[in-house]
Amino acid sequence: MASQNAVLHRVGLALALALLLVMPWLLGSYQLRLFTEAVIFSLYAVSYNMLLGYAGLLSFGHAMFFGWGAFSFAVALNHFPGIPLFGAVALAMASTTVMGLVVGVLLLRVKGTPFALLTLAFNALVFAIGIKWHSVTGGDDGLSIACPPLNLGFTALNVSHGANLYFFTLVIVGAAIAFAWYFTRTAMGQSVLLIRENEERMRFLGYNTNVSRLILFVLSGALAGLAGSFYAILNSFVSLDAVSIEMTTKVLLMTFIGGTGQFLGPVVGAFFFTYVQNYLSDLTDNWPLIMGALFIGMVLWVPGGLAGLAAKLSGGRKQGDQDGTLAGME
Amino acid sequence: MRKGLLLGLALLLMLSVASAAWAGGTIKLAVMEPLSGTFKDIGDRYLEGVKYAAEVLNAKGGINGMKVEVIAVDSELKPAIATRKATKLIMKDGVKYFCGGTGSSVGGAMSVLAKNQGALFYTYGMAAASLTGAKCSSNFFRACANTDNQSYALAVWVAQQGFKKVFCLAQDYSFGKEAVAAFTKKLAELNPEAKVVGTALHPIGTKDFAPYVSQIISSGAEVVFTSNWGSDLTLLIKQAKPLGLKAKFACYYLNDENAITAIANDDAVLGSQAVEEYMLTIPGKANEEFIAGFKKAKGYYPTWLRGKAYLATMFWAEAVKKAGSAKVSDVIKAWEGLSYDGPAGTWTMRACDHQVLMPMWTATVVAKNPFFKHAYVGPATMVPSAKVQVPCKDTGCKGLK
Repeated sequence: MASQNAVLHRVGLALALALLLVMPWLLGSYQLRLFTEAVIFSLYAVSYNMLLGYAGLLSFGHAMFFGWGAFSFAVALNHFPGIPLFGAVALAMASTTVMGLVVGVLLLRVKGTPFALLTLAFNALVFAIGIKWHSVTGGDDGLSIACPPLNLGFTALNVSHGANLYFFTLVIVGAAIAFAWYFTRTAMGQSVLLIRENEERMRFLGYNTNVSRLILFVLSGALAGLAGSFYAILNSFVSLDAVSIEMTTKVLLMTFIGGTGQFLGPVVGAFFFTYVQNYLSDLTDNWPLIMGALFIGMVLWVPGGLAGLAAKLSGGRKQGDQDGTLAGME
Repeated sequence: MRKGLLLGLALLLMLSVASAAWAGGTIKLAVMEPLSGTFKDIGDRYLEGVKYAAEVLNAKGGINGMKVEVIAVDSELKPAIATRKATKLIMKDGVKYFCGGTGSSVGGAMSVLAKNQGALFYTYGMAAASLTGAKCSSNFFRACANTDNQSYALAVWVAQQGFKKVFCLAQDYSFGKEAVAAFTKKLAELNPEAKVVGTALHPIGTKDFAPYVSQIISSGAEVVFTSNWGSDLTLLIKQAKPLGLKAKFACYYLNDENAITAIANDDAVLGSQAVEEYMLTIPGKANEEFIAGFKKAKGYYPTWLRGKAYLATMFWAEAVKKAGSAKVSDVIKAWEGLSYDGPAGTWTMRACDHQVLMPMWTATVVAKNPFFKHAYVGPATMVPSAKVQVPCKDTGCKGLK
């Protein structure tokens, strides 16, 4: 039975991968762009859920990493002419990692509400840097990007739009999501989960819980920064939107709607949010109202999110990837 | 004979098909404005101007036989939202023409998108000089004044009046800083004796202007230059007079009846100066006819933003007309160097950076005017285009890409 399940699991995974690979031929150009955007937001939401779902840290400032990554990427391209695409992405990730480290060292001494409020304050600080440091960030005018081609050695690909952008995103962002999943399975990832459940006990067992949390915080920030740099590639432009409170609210909505209790919950939430927002904004200018109502409804009546609901309906695993607990909500 | 007849028939058929496609076509123009939220009023007024231009064009049979279809898009004043919606319109509905007047960040993002997708974006209100400067693009056109033009026109007025002490007050962000820098630079050129006795930048959305007004009074300034807009303009002027400020204001945005009614004190605003590329009080038959036509159709005047959006759209229509097709590359080529004689004088689209060369108009706020019962701008005086332009080599535009 177990082996049959494993086979089914593998067949399902292979089918999903095959489907992802043929997307450019199945979707029209606009739908493909939307799909690419959803993939990018998936990484953003997954990175957020590493804090919320796994470590139980409710952050109101995740856009600071996303926006920092997006701006670092744009600044690298604008201020270092000739920098290769991967160089700019790596630089964006590196600077977000450093920023995560600095913020993390200052923030992780506190937990709960003070932590949430301090993340909000740091987000506001990064926003202020964005708006004030006009010569570097472009201030409220934002920064345009001329995305260099991706040099593969034998050929150079224009990855700024279309199928090339989709595959580039799928490979890099997909790998980052896979790495995040792998990380949660490692002893290090599991220890964070245990710290969330009973920190005192983990300390008694000899773990330095602060270091574990810091590593997770930095990794989460770096992944959000990577998502931010791809968001910049997608739009060929970065504005203060990327580092705004709205961007934090967005990831919060995605994660809660998708479900914090399962690894793929935020991915489901990101796709749901991107597509529903696209549909609703065509119907009414008041779409944020509907999204807000949906969010309240989900938190009140479907706390496990869409992924939790799907798992419940399929009657499958009763336990989520994170021991069935609604992380971050206890 | 038979061959000739057949050939003639075939030619006739081809021509009729071609003309049917030509006459039956529409040219879609998407208007990217904030149509919800705090800046809804601004977006609505711009949209009214574009819609009226489309009505006028369609009443005359469209552009080259193509009807203009206006698509209103709520940009929410967010570049990411605006570009997502625009991308959808480009990819799903084949829209190639976009315009907008609010938010230079939206303009910057739309400029990049237009370039990548082979579309065209023109603005009738986005003032950041960088849009036709460092960020200039072959697919972006500015059919309105930028911060340099407006600041220069006010500097010309201040210099002509012979003011010796000037105070600069602006909102603390890129636009305000750009406006002040351009004004002080031009004033120093025009009248080296005039001194900027103080400069203050305040946060957007300031409620209490008393500290700034005190600073102005103590500086002894005879005139206050300000690029403020919205409540930062109305509250500043409203609070200045009761606090004892006697100096008049030289403003970017006083050519707005809503601002003047919001100040709700005509005495506070009388004698201050406004500058724009379009005003109701611009002399000339063309403007009179435009105002009469608009008033008849809508029941109100084409003030400020409405007039700006109308003029820019008519200018764009001239370019499409000259191009003879709706192909973006043809329209870009046709618009470069094109001149348009409209209600606000002669406008010429500069080919090097796609910034329109236009005269600016300044006017003093007076009590009696033919349009409103409250105070409003008086007769407009022209500042020639040559006096308010930045030479191509100084804009920062390193060739249209």
